[in-house]
Amino acid sequence: MGFDLLEPRTVAEAVELHARDGNAVFLAGGTALLILQRQGLPLPRRLISLRGIPGLDEITAGPGGGLRIGALATLRQVERHPLVVRRVPLLAEALRQVANVRVRHTATLGGNLAHGDYRLDPPAPLLVLGAQVRAVGIGGEREIALAAFFRGLFETALQPGEVVTELAIPPTPPSGGTYLKYALSSNDWPCVGAAALVALDDHGRCREVRLALTAVAAAPVLVRGLDELARGEPVSDRLAARLADIAAAQVEPVGDQRGSEWYKREMARVFARRALLAAARRAEAGPVGDGTKEPVA
Amino acid sequence: MNRNPLTVSVNGAEHVLSVPGDRRLLDLLRDELGLMGVREGCGVGACGTCTVLLDGVPVNACLTLAVTTRGRSVTTIEGLARDGELHPVQQAFLEERGFQCGFCTPGMILTAVGLLRENPSPTVEEVTDYLGGNLCRCAGYPDMIRAVLRGAERCREAGGRPSATPEGPEAARLRAMGKGEEG
Ligand SMILES: Cc1cc2nc3c(=O)[nH]c(=O)nc-3n(C[C@H](O)[C@H](O)[C@H](O)COP(=O)(O)OP(=O)(O)OC[C@H]3O[C@@H](n4cnc5c(N)ncnc54)[C@H](O)[C@@H]3O)c2cc1C
Ligand code: FES
Ligand code: FES
Repeated sequence: MGFDLLEPRTVAEAVELHARDGNAVFLAGGTALLILQRQGLPLPRRLISLRGIPGLDEITAGPGGGLRIGALATLRQVERHPLVVRRVPLLAEALRQVANVRVRHTATLGGNLAHGDYRLDPPAPLLVLGAQVRAVGIGGEREIALAAFFRGLFETALQPGEVVTELAIPPTPPSGGTYLKYALSSNDWPCVGAAALVALDDHGRCREVRLALTAVAAAPVLVRGLDELARGEPVSDRLAARLADIAAAQVEPVGDQRGSEWYKREMARVFARRALLAAARRAEAGPVGDGTKEPVA
Repeated sequence: MNRNPLTVSVNGAEHVLSVPGDRRLLDLLRDELGLMGVREGCGVGACGTCTVLLDGVPVNACLTLAVTTRGRSVTTIEGLARDGELHPVQQAFLEERGFQCGFCTPGMILTAVGLLRENPSPTVEEVTDYLGGNLCRCAGYPDMIRAVLRGAERCREAGGRPSATPEGPEAARLRAMGKGEEG
């Protein structure tokens, strides 16, 4: 079986190479592609490696707060980067729970998102952080809200031949956040993952509540309609339980080795509630964020 | 079969090779270079017996295409000793009896060397966390953790880097982050 590794030096060149051979596949860390190969899906004849493109792995402060993460940054680079740890500790907390350290040294954030698997951890925290995906294709550059990026099982909004170049995370309001991963053993894929972000007003009442769940539907779920119930309410077990019920009604789990449909829905409810309460406790203890009092819609 | 040219440094020696594009680094190291310390346990990134240092950072040889190591530097367990002297972490594993059958040992030791590059004074929790992805069927984990802590002490006493293996930009960057030099 013939096989070529192409190593473009610019994004434009990578896009161009793909335009010439639509069957070629982009290669970042390669961890997902090699697992697929192992599972019997042969590697395509041409792989276009993105690793050698200078600057695609940079992590920088965003304008007016927030940050930008190059698509080729490894999960490990992101989890350890001081800007990430300081500005979006929720993301670092989630990434530390992905796979094992060897996979995180290789796997990239862009590859994780582009892969579109339904049970990945990073999408949940990135959804509550309101991340935007920047992608470049033959038609030019565009930004896609992460909330509109995941379409279904292994299906994303990316057009064939589009390269994810960057992830932009907007400034977060002062808030508490957490990512709770429920797995059958450490290092395993999630049975359920829940990311929550809670912003409180000066009286300790909810200003804004965000929640995303992973591994409980064909694509990660950004739960809708929480603020209607929560805004202005004091945090309580009862409120968290009601919000968790809203979340459980929005998941559509497919049973897998890590839980049946019923089990995953119930665990989604449990972990949604725990994550909301944990995030609220952090918001009370000492919120982090960019100092903006404005909620980011 | 398309063969791809590959120049890679393995345990300090430069190799000029020609490899099929779909060959895994694991197979290249074992079958072509005879480095049997690199072992295939699971073949899917989960067990750590195939761990090698790539530019100083522990990765899975089972999930790495050989052609993607072009111009980079690979260290296997065979490359850790210097001038007939074991690496301090290897020596510590011997002294603490950090192995039983030995199948997982190369991966454990290379992972520990990777940890000490980033963090020369890890706590027990940090060792447990970093080595958590390396599985040992004989389950002698407490001895290994002690071995890593002892190895760390030895490396600090020796005052040097935890290994003489070449360090790539990635390893240097991770180490700098550990010291809070960046950002
Ligand atoms: C043992 C093991 C355990 C794991 N456990 C977990 C876990 O607990 N939680 C979790 O979330 N994940 C887990 N993973 C999955 C891992 O996070 C993904 O495999 C990884 O993030 C994919 O990134 P990559 O850079 O290796 O992608 P690649 O394998 O290089 O690419 C994946 C896909 O994305 C495409 N692609 C890559 N980069 C781009 C880009 N910039 N633009 C456009 N398309 C692109 C590729 O063409 C390919 O289709 C695990 C993986 C392994 C091997
Ligand atoms: S053989 Fe590579 S991690 Fe198990
Ligand atoms: S010592 Fe036997 S597998 Fe670890």
